[in-house]
Amino acid sequence: MSIEKVISADNQNVSISIEDRFDFSLHQKFRESYADCDTNGTVFTLNLDKTSYMDSSALGMILLLKDHADKISGKVIINKPNETVNKILEIAQFHRLLTIEL
Amino acid sequence: MNAMVENPDAKLALVIDDSAVNCKIMTTLLREEGYRVLSGNNGAVGVALYIEHLPDLVLMDIHMPVMDGYEAAKRIKSLSPNSLAPLIFITSLDTDEAFVEAIEAGGDGILTRPFSPEVFKAKIKSIQRISNLYTQVKTLQQEQQQDAELAEQIMSGVIEARNFALDRIGIKKQAAALFSGDIQLTALCPGGNVNVLLGDFTGHGLRSSIGAIPLSETFRVMTKKGFSLMEIIEQINRQLYELLPVDLFCCVCCVSISGHDRSAYVFNAGLPDTYVFNQEGKIKHKIESHHIPLGVMPNLLPQAQLQVYSVAEDDRVVLISDGILEARNDQGEMYGIQRFESAARQGFCHGDIPGKVFAAVNDFCQGRPQEDDISLIDIPCNGWQQALSGDDNAHNLAVSEMPDLHQDSEPSWHWQLSLTGQRLALVNPVPMAMGQIQEIEGNGEHWNNMYTILTELYVNALDHGVLRLNSELKNSAAGFAHYFMVRESRLKNLATGRIDISLSYHPLSSGGKMIITIVDDGQGFDLAAFYDHRLKNKHAGKDKVMLCGRGIELVHQLCEKLEYLERGNKVQATYVWAE
Repeated sequence: MSIEKVISADNQNVSISIEDRFDFSLHQKFRESYADCDTNGTVFTLNLDKTSYMDSSALGMILLLKDHADKISGKVIINKPNETVNKILEIAQFHRLLTIEL
Repeated sequence: MNAMVENPDAKLALVIDDSAVNCKIMTTLLREEGYRVLSGNNGAVGVALYIEHLPDLVLMDIHMPVMDGYEAAKRIKSLSPNSLAPLIFITSLDTDEAFVEAIEAGGDGILTRPFSPEVFKAKIKSIQRISNLYTQVKTLQQEQQQDAELAEQIMSGVIEARNFALDRIGIKKQAAALFSGDIQLTALCPGGNVNVLLGDFTGHGLRSSIGAIPLSETFRVMTKKGFSLMEIIEQINRQLYELLPVDLFCCVCCVSISGHDRSAYVFNAGLPDTYVFNQEGKIKHKIESHHIPLGVMPNLLPQAQLQVYSVAEDDRVVLISDGILEARNDQGEMYGIQRFESAARQGFCHGDIPGKVFAAVNDFCQGRPQEDDISLIDIPCNGWQQALSGDDNAHNLAVSEMPDLHQDSEPSWHWQLSLTGQRLALVNPVPMAMGQIQEIEGNGEHWNNMYTILTELYVNALDHGVLRLNSELKNSAAGFAHYFMVRESRLKNLATGRIDISLSYHPLSSGGKMIITIVDDGQGFDLAAFYDHRLKNKHAGKDKVMLCGRGIELVHQLCEKLEYLERGNKVQATYVWAE
């Protein structure tokens, strides 16, 4: 389980990748990964192509990220969730809240 | 012994050493640190003193007659495995083996002779610091446990014990923590429908339970007052949004079963598919989530609406939380949809869906610790009108035995409301009228019938009078869905239209009489032609397929008098009850 973060040179794009399981144990690390990114209009891309499993507290964490992005007029994009993870996003109807790129 | 007065609240140390001199030195040093001290000269005496006095700190020599230090330490630690009292070995054996053996015997530290008084005191202080921390963690843990127990008590005692028809609706759950984040609610609507809610708060344990109490109160009170399922869901969403932090929300599936309509109204927001099984145990409908969980957005999505399914008498509606599908075995495999569906089918045949599914899930997991709460609700679709029709008989009997109807009595109060245009789409006047009645006249069983009459007549006035909908549409399951779609769109675009509702309450010598008048601006309803049509259908053997028009029959049965006046756009119902 790990989180990797890449910030573009102009601070406009923040890419967060999550490996293996995305669950409550990442709570602290996940929050820390975006807390300092407060450039207006930042686009946060959440790469889930290496995420094997996600639980409901992960959905909560995504909502926290969205809340943070909304405050700085930014945006959250979820990128490449696998079938299992996408099913969870689908049941929660998260495509109505943010962009999901398959 | 010195003359120092011992403080009875001071910590108690136990020194075990066969050398009287060593005992004396350590006793003195410990007293200087504020301890009360007991001492013994071999391991056996030490164990006995430990049992009798339960000291806060134990200092143990290794080589002693009768019983050595290792053995005594093992016994002390096995006596109280969760004891907070640290045990330190004092020894002159300065070898690795001695150190390892001391720790394995249960020692929390070791101090090698010779040592200076300063080193001894420092060691005591450091070990005491760890012990204090341990005590603190233990206390916090106990407080947390008590909180969870309290929450669990409230949950089962206050929230779930007030559920309706637990003998008929099968509810089964298994919590991952003591206090489940899943909530199961059932309540009876005044019109005889049964409302059921399965909720799954983010995570589990106490943290996930913050919203459970307000949610259940809202669900129960609004159901009882006669609000529609959609109004209840809107209110729950608003409440959870205001109450819960951003990352906490609740996946909810609400179902309202109407025996009268033979319909199930479903709203699935974030839970796995809800199932309708037919009388052979086959899956008739799978109703997937079509809304984000409640508590995420301040308002429901604009296109949010109930899904309507026609259900037969022997159908069963089954709700599950995701814990069932995501339960894992030792190989990390998930239980999954297929296994669930086959277990549910088997359960259906055995007449016990919850029992069979839980047995199958637990079998599959082979005792692996459960990661999430799992729950299932199994609702039969028949029999929900029984309670209501029971009331009708009592009502008819009572009224026929009442000679003095005081036909000309003055109303003791009168209430009136006129709604026009868009307000007809936005406001439901039935709970308002019921609220007025209950505020003035208090609670009463007969208000359930009153609610049915008001609802049926108001819905007729709105659907057929104002919205000009043809109820014949409802004669087939497909037509039923179409009817609701057309209704939604006409309501949304409603600009004109008017409905007047009035209530007049007349007290009788034992009971009362309510005259309900509802006027709409539609083209009118021909009651005689309606009955004529129904009669013809009945003779033609089509009565079984008549899904529409049962509302008006029900009102007719409940009321003393039902009249359509003017051009059929004014209906007056007289409802009489005995105390």
